[in-house]
Amino acid sequence: MRLPPARVAIPATLIALLVIAALAAPLLGLPDPVRQNVVRRLAPPTADAWLGRDEFGRDVLSRLIWGARTSLFVAVSATAIAAIVGTLLGLIGGWFRGVAELFTVRVADVVLCFPPILLALLVVTVLGPGGGTLILMLSILYTPGFTRVAYGEILSARSMDYVEAVRALGATTPRILARTILPNIAGPLLVQFSLTLAAAIVIESGLSFLGLGTVPPTPSWGLMIRGARATMDQAPLLLLWPCLVLTATILAINLLCDALRDLVDPRSASASALHGLGARLLPGLVTAGQGPTGLAVRDLRVAIETPNGPIEPVSAVSFDVAPGETLAIVGESGSGKSLTATALLGLLPRTASAAGAAVFDGRDLLTLDDAAMRALRGNRIAMIFQDPMSSLNPVHAVGTQVAEASRAHRTLSKPAARAEALALFRRVGIADPERRLDAYPHEFSGGMRQRVMIAIAVANRPALLIADEPTTALDVTIQAQILDLLADLRRETGMSLIFITHNLGIVAEIADRVVVMYAGHVVEQGGVAEVFAAPLHPYTQALLAAVPAEDANPVPIQGTVPPPSRFPDGCRFHPRCSRATAACKEPQALREITPGRLVACIHVAPAREAVS
Amino acid sequence: MTFIASRLARTLFLAWLVATIVFLVLHLVPGDPAELLLSTGGAMPDPTAVAELRVRLGLDRPILAQYRDFVAGLMRLDLGRSLVDDYSVAGEIALRLPRTLELIFAATTLALVIGVPAGVYAAVHRGGRFDRVMSAVTAVLLAVPVFVLGTLLILVFAQMLRLTPAGGFVPFGRNPGQHLALLALPAIAIGKGLAAIVFRMMRASVLDTLSADHVRTARAKGLSNARILAHHVVRNAFTPVLTVLGLHMGALLGGTVLVEYVFNWPGLSTPLIRAVEGRDYPMVVGIVLTISGLFLLINMIVELLYGVLDPRVRAR
Repeated sequence: MRLPPARVAIPATLIALLVIAALAAPLLGLPDPVRQNVVRRLAPPTADAWLGRDEFGRDVLSRLIWGARTSLFVAVSATAIAAIVGTLLGLIGGWFRGVAELFTVRVADVVLCFPPILLALLVVTVLGPGGGTLILMLSILYTPGFTRVAYGEILSARSMDYVEAVRALGATTPRILARTILPNIAGPLLVQFSLTLAAAIVIESGLSFLGLGTVPPTPSWGLMIRGARATMDQAPLLLLWPCLVLTATILAINLLCDALRDLVDPRSASASALHGLGARLLPGLVTAGQGPTGLAVRDLRVAIETPNGPIEPVSAVSFDVAPGETLAIVGESGSGKSLTATALLGLLPRTASAAGAAVFDGRDLLTLDDAAMRALRGNRIAMIFQDPMSSLNPVHAVGTQVAEASRAHRTLSKPAARAEALALFRRVGIADPERRLDAYPHEFSGGMRQRVMIAIAVANRPALLIADEPTTALDVTIQAQILDLLADLRRETGMSLIFITHNLGIVAEIADRVVVMYAGHVVEQGGVAEVFAAPLHPYTQALLAAVPAEDANPVPIQGTVPPPSRFPDGCRFHPRCSRATAACKEPQALREITPGRLVACIHVAPAREAVS
Repeated sequence: MTFIASRLARTLFLAWLVATIVFLVLHLVPGDPAELLLSTGGAMPDPTAVAELRVRLGLDRPILAQYRDFVAGLMRLDLGRSLVDDYSVAGEIALRLPRTLELIFAATTLALVIGVPAGVYAAVHRGGRFDRVMSAVTAVLLAVPVFVLGTLLILVFAQMLRLTPAGGFVPFGRNPGQHLALLALPAIAIGKGLAAIVFRMMRASVLDTLSADHVRTARAKGLSNARILAHHVVRNAFTPVLTVLGLHMGALLGGTVLVEYVFNWPGLSTPLIRAVEGRDYPMVVGIVLTISGLFLLINMIVELLYGVLDPRVRAR
């Protein structure tokens, strides 16, 4: 985790300076902050009083520094008490649950039902203003925050492997809490500590400003602002100094807190967010065609910018899809299937870019501008996605989402679009379509949602439909129904279908031809029957061997697909291949073995294969 | 309907808990309120006066009886009378609550009207100049305490530029223009933090939603960017904003107490601060309960709005 040093260094230096000044206040030889000099009231800055004098002629600089001492003492003591008590309560509540939880966490929840300043005023009413009251009150105010944080963290920590392991070794509860859990939840607590510190300073100064906090003549920033307010027409600068110091202090603590949070919680850091995005994209996308309404993909490359430099998860991918044909693209996760498809529709994330060519309707999809691409999407080329749960907008009725697709590309009245949606629902086999049009996605099962997605995709009778693992999230019987539906629709409309999957069983059922991808490369291509009968590439053979069959036990493929940053040279499969030789480390070309049958492996001898 | 009823029941239960805690804080904290009330400047108060006050406050009765009367009074909206000037607490609150509500409403509206569109714009143009400037602006807005901003606003706009009065209040019916002019600065001071938080949350939430699967579906349909943003992003992205709105209400109500004082806005804060200084228990309790109740009520409304925005919540 690298952080820009300035992000931490600047606020940390500011805070350090303030703390040192506050601690060293008695040693700095400052004028007495409470000694009045009424003759020189509101005096402008002079050599002996750098920031001037206040309404009682007291030295402003001295009062600012001694005020820091007051504010920090109150805020740090209260936060420390709240942190210790709150964390203990949270640990007890989270570890023992049951009654302990009721008396710690639930009580904390109730205290959080009060706006903080009101609870503070209530306590001041009972105890009267003063430093002791402030510390007590702020501790009460902020204990629940720590209780909640510690409780939340311990609930997730106690189920983790390392805690389970120590428990199994027979460690006692206090020991586990102190030695194992506390260090692991220290980060979030540290963040909570600095947040609370800032909030405590704000409330202390706010109450002092109202005259209900620190008691005069003790110097305090809030009191200084209160005093300077009365004389702001004569000495506006007096108002500015404490305002500036107070705001800068809070700002510095907040900034440090943000930096800390990024350190403690890498999920929120931008670098890792990018990383996660990249990882999500790697399960890929697909497209195909040739001729008037087919698709021809040539030398497609997808590059992604990552914090550690560019990667190329899809390289030199070429294939065709004929009109009315179903092409399956097959490979393990990380082979680049889904990225390929996403690239064809121009739906790559902003950190990714595509090169090469993808000719559809005589135009190269990769060079079309946004408007032209939008006119094609959902119209001539449609796509359905893997997860029907998240692919529909949860806040709109499904009928609206179907009608929207029609209306995006054709001039259609709302009732006409609704009638069309109704017909589409019937076509994709949704029971009781009139009623279901007004239902929301969460009221549908996964299979029904995928039918809605298909209705959206075929609303404008596309020439090409790309289905990216459309049945992976569904159970087996539903899978079969969806496959039947897609096959029927293809027959009826004559559209081409690109079907992306890692499931070879589905390929045999639905596809005419198959493209096998591994680590961003196409390794084999051909008719489904031929490829299944006699797989040529060792990877295809391994994939087929991994499928459970009647007469043989499945043989899993050893190892996993490497991440794009560590793709090996030459044949990318060779580190996992039993037939690998030194020659496999040289680049492999996709060679046509028999007409329409391509493979990228030096161990496949074209002539003999062709003859036999 | 069940959804609304369950939220209502929950809010009433929390209100009861809050009232009970207020009661406990006043009665179980060591020290006799009557004695505290009469002791000025450290001198021992007159025992007969203390005893009289104890009777008047009902403090001589068993604690459970006092609690029963307290709850019964609340249900009748009878909050007792001020110890200082004998005003009816409920009457005082009824007079001033609308003015406080107006400030809260103005501040919240301001925060949403500025924070939401700015957040969407910054997210769509992520990393652009506006985005970077706003990230610094919101950091400062979050750091400056409300009473500091209020005081500085007076310094700049009333003292130096002489654009607005330094504070005060004119009823809307008497002079609408003047009323709104006096409303502007306090509303800005109260709403600034919320505006910054709404901006940040909206920006983050729009960025999140833009990479959601259903937005990919919308793009795959070939919808225009404007329609995707308006129909599939902003509404979905608003739910987390609603959450922080509820969470931040406590701070906003606290800020209102301070800002009313800074601007001499005659809402609930003036009598509250006077009552805390004078240890006017019934008045403090009445106003604290009113504002806490307001906090719970706003949070209930926020939860009900989830149901409007997200049909999935209604089902639960």
